[in-house]
Amino acid sequence: MDNLVGQSIFLGIIATGIRLATPYLLAALGEMFTQRSGIYNLGLEGVMLMGAFAGFFVSLTTGNPYLGLLAGIVIGGLMGVIMGIVSITLKAEQGISGIGLYMFGWGLSGLFFRLYVGGITTIEGLKPVKIPLLSELPFIGSTLFEHNIVVYLAFLLVPVCWLVLYKTGWGLKVRAVGTTPQAADTLGVSVDTIRYQCLILGSMMGGLAGAALTIGNTHMFADNIIAGRGFIAVALVYFGRWSPWGILAGSLLFSMADSVQLWVQVIGINFPYELAVILPYVVTIIALAMTFGRIWAPAALGKPFERGARG
Amino acid sequence: MKRMVKFTKLMLVLLVALSLFVTGCGSKPSAPAAEAPKAKKLKVALVIPSTVDDLAWSQSMYEVLKKNDKIELAVSERMGKPVDASAAIRQYATQGYDIIFAHGAQYYGILKEIAPEFPKITFAYGTGSQTGPNIIAYDPQAQEGAYLLGLLAGKMTKSKTVGIVGPVEAGDAIKYNRGFQQGVAAASSDIKLRIAYTGSFGDLVKAGEIAKTHMDAGADVLTGSSQQVPGAIKAAADKPGTYWMSTDMDQSSIAPDTVLAAQVYNWEKIISKMIELRNQGTVGGQHLTLSFADGTLDLKYNPKLADKIPQDVKDAVEKAKKDIASGALKIDVSK
Repeated sequence: MDNLVGQSIFLGIIATGIRLATPYLLAALGEMFTQRSGIYNLGLEGVMLMGAFAGFFVSLTTGNPYLGLLAGIVIGGLMGVIMGIVSITLKAEQGISGIGLYMFGWGLSGLFFRLYVGGITTIEGLKPVKIPLLSELPFIGSTLFEHNIVVYLAFLLVPVCWLVLYKTGWGLKVRAVGTTPQAADTLGVSVDTIRYQCLILGSMMGGLAGAALTIGNTHMFADNIIAGRGFIAVALVYFGRWSPWGILAGSLLFSMADSVQLWVQVIGINFPYELAVILPYVVTIIALAMTFGRIWAPAALGKPFERGARG
Repeated sequence: MKRMVKFTKLMLVLLVALSLFVTGCGSKPSAPAAEAPKAKKLKVALVIPSTVDDLAWSQSMYEVLKKNDKIELAVSERMGKPVDASAAIRQYATQGYDIIFAHGAQYYGILKEIAPEFPKITFAYGTGSQTGPNIIAYDPQAQEGAYLLGLLAGKMTKSKTVGIVGPVEAGDAIKYNRGFQQGVAAASSDIKLRIAYTGSFGDLVKAGEIAKTHMDAGADVLTGSSQQVPGAIKAAADKPGTYWMSTDMDQSSIAPDTVLAAQVYNWEKIISKMIELRNQGTVGGQHLTLSFADGTLDLKYNPKLADKIPQDVKDAVEKAKKDIASGALKIDVSK
């Protein structure tokens, strides 16, 4: 194959992989905070769907994609409040309430779309932004530095989340609340408040992830447009061992594999498409299987906090 | 614990009351039948895998049924899973609907199970060819329009690269893709035609990504089938200079500068045929094909872009269309 052609395919794969990773990265980083504080939010898919619709709708009606992103964040936060009331205040079983939130988000977003938008409608959305200087670099310039702003934001948030979680007082409280909530409680940390904060933060990022998909990627909304990506994001949190860098690695692994399979199909390599389509999932499972050692989940993950109980 | 039990009981009572209320509201239409039943509407149910506004497979059938004023229509959407669909179909059957459309190739299996229990009801599904005593299969010969669209694509591509955004290699998609391939080959033998599949019928994001990848790899004419194509069409629209060939229905409303032509399914004739058959006492056993020969399939050009197509290209497509309609040109879908 021509050297130049091979090079452009390689760069194309990288560029596509970076773009694909964005929603997973944003949603999974948010879910990481939620889970680090002890709550697992399986309703992330519903949060993303509501964020996707809110973002799309506000972009459509105001013509401003940034307001749309903001709307996605706000609606995500509201979904987080709902989940908080159910899992923290009412202490319900989190797995089931999460699935309930998923169906709620799916149904409500579809309903609002039907009522207020009607049919398939497109928006301008976000356009790719070239970073000055960096995007002029040979080879990797346009591959890495010519994406829309949410893509840059998602990757920048990785070190930011790492800083917040490991280098701030609040981050320490989050980790304490997710590991030994009773001990944290005796030291004056309000377990429920921290969990609410994390749940809302996580859902805000989930809402942003959904809005990023409709405003930055598809420029339209349709029923069930998130198509299971929220659940993959939850899985990526486990894959990344609840650490921002692990989540980055997992998101990139999954998305690069996805990008590879798309390009393999498009350039016509004789490979059964059924296998191509499952490639990202298989690669992720293999990677998971190959990592040894115990997995240290936040010890209090999934257990509602009852003052005076053991732990 | 006691409070929770009381609360649960209260919620259960409220839910039962609510469902009774909803049922009550739902069954109102049967009340006023004072006049002589001179225009008794046919009760028709439509079960679709996506939504009525998907601008593709489901919407094309929905719009035709909705416009028919001899029909009283009920719709169940998002019935992608056969389990949900079979529950809905069974419910319509017990409520005495005359014709039940299960609009998707995947529904044949459940119809085979349910149809024998309701011998007076006509069950229709498509794309398919297997029938039953009260099952009618409708079978759009998508490869015919696909051939014409492929011919057009082959002649209009400047980069000599054309891409197909496929859902799954099944049913309608196989026919469409094979017909399209032959059309492109008939236009010119040095055109690169690539197919990539999303693995699903409903993932708009994936479809858009495949379209983008096709375009990154050099394609300037794209096509595809199933209800997820609006995602791909929008991606094509975002890159000016790219054309899209539509199937199922005219999708130029979302991308008026991109959709060059569309293969349109004229379901009206099929529906009239089914009603006619019912009036004559036939409730099934028919394999109804949609094709160019009888006008149930048609090719529509986007009027906005009509002047972009050179006259000799239009003539070539017209000739091919006549040949297909007359049977002189047969599109083979077996390869």
